[in-house]
Amino acid sequence: MEEQSYRLITAYFEKTISDEGLTQLREWIEESPANLAQFSETIQILEASKAYTAQPLNQQKSWVGIQQYINQPLKAKNTRILRYKWLAAAAILLAVCSTTLAWYKHMLNALTSIEYAEVSNVNGRHTKVYLPDSSVVYLSGGSKIKFAKGFDGKTRNVQLNGEAFFDVVHQAKPFVVSSGKISTVVLGTSFNVKAYSSQQKVTVTVKSGKVGVLATVNGKRKLVKYLTPDEQIEINTLNGLYAFGQTDAHAVSGWINNDLSFYNTALTDIAQSIEHHYGVHIDFTDPEQGHVKLTTKFDNVSLKQVMQTLSELSGLAYTQKGNQFFFTNTNQKGGSIMR
Amino acid sequence: MYLQLSDEELVGLLKVDDHLALENLFNRYYKSLCQLSAVYTKDFEIAEEVVANMFMKLWDTRNDLNLQNVKGYLSVSIRNASINQLQRKKLVVESIDEVAHQLSNIADELTPLNIITGRESYNRILKLIDTLPASQREVLLMSHVDNLSKHEIAAISDISVRTVETTLYQSVKKLRLLLKDFYNSAASN
Repeated sequence: MEEQSYRLITAYFEKTISDEGLTQLREWIEESPANLAQFSETIQILEASKAYTAQPLNQQKSWVGIQQYINQPLKAKNTRILRYKWLAAAAILLAVCSTTLAWYKHMLNALTSIEYAEVSNVNGRHTKVYLPDSSVVYLSGGSKIKFAKGFDGKTRNVQLNGEAFFDVVHQAKPFVVSSGKISTVVLGTSFNVKAYSSQQKVTVTVKSGKVGVLATVNGKRKLVKYLTPDEQIEINTLNGLYAFGQTDAHAVSGWINNDLSFYNTALTDIAQSIEHHYGVHIDFTDPEQGHVKLTTKFDNVSLKQVMQTLSELSGLAYTQKGNQFFFTNTNQKGGSIMR
Repeated sequence: MYLQLSDEELVGLLKVDDHLALENLFNRYYKSLCQLSAVYTKDFEIAEEVVANMFMKLWDTRNDLNLQNVKGYLSVSIRNASINQLQRKKLVVESIDEVAHQLSNIADELTPLNIITGRESYNRILKLIDTLPASQREVLLMSHVDNLSKHEIAAISDISVRTVETTLYQSVKKLRLLLKDFYNSAASN
């Protein structure tokens, strides 16, 4: 029994415990104060030992070192390296010149009439977009933004369909992200907006600063809520119901570094994120199966590993046909043709 | 899209000198390999160095590689490289201070447990972890490395999954005993 209890506590700590195990653990803790003490001491030890494993601080630096290493040609002589450097510098100069020239042309055009720039991503592609005011937008897969070139109006207006993380430069001119009837107004903050028109749902998460979320109802704009860091609002655009609460904004915006985290999220929603992120299609042979809620985290892992983890957690099997994945019930013996 | 490719496919791409494939492998495993290396080197800076060197070596040997299990190969390589590093450098500075600094973030979270216990016992536990028998210490710390399952720990340390489970349980039990001893002796003084 002693080993069994340690096992349950470890599973509890790693959040992999089953419902059954949780009941068992609860009963065992209530049995005696000694058990409760064992529980809290064990958790404390696990937490401390987890803290022992730190996070790497110099990932970027390490990669640069490796890159230099693999880029150096074998048996290279000094003169050759120098010439390469000169060539590279010339190429960069040329690129800079041509892009600035193109940009000036655009600017000239913008003065005569309002021109819109549009950036869209297919599923599975990320881009980093620099806006005219030098704010940065990380645009997720299957997403699109549209904005007036030059931001000449009274507000800095960006239209979004899909998911994007905004890092907005502070200016007196308000920055407005509109996704359908919902708009998000800020002055200078960083926040994540998820608004795929196919999902009838808009989610706004604030990482820093203060953000106002407005809704257009019967042609009138009204404030829904102000959000502060680590707050999240989720609005159903069909029935207008909304819910807000605390969240970990770092985890929500993790997708820009290919880190996806889900907390108590329906498998259908997770599947949709995976579709946008990896550029695949995921279907369920039985739509009911998608309702199961999971908590999981993928830090830069391959698609194969993601699908395996989801399959293990949900107890569903999956089959792959090229770009298409199907989740099926492993022990299905029958079903309904009316679905 | 490289994100879609399996580790094995990425290693295949290394043979045609694909830098992006190496970068993707690097991004996929850098963090967990550093954590794994730090179990042995006890110093995160050295760990990062060991991992970076291993990726350079991986690039150099790319044409001779034929791997069935890339993650396993990388993990075992890191373990060996870290142990070698230790033997080369007998004097290792233990950075308890740094760990304590990171702990301050954790201790700020107000879980009931933290309110009762506070930061001091954390530091005590961290010091006691280093007094555990090597195998227990290794398994306990490896169990916290990101994305490393019991099966993978077993494969890396060349022991059975069952042994991983019992060692983990024994290490926690041992730590509890050590802690109790410490508090008892503190109380009697």
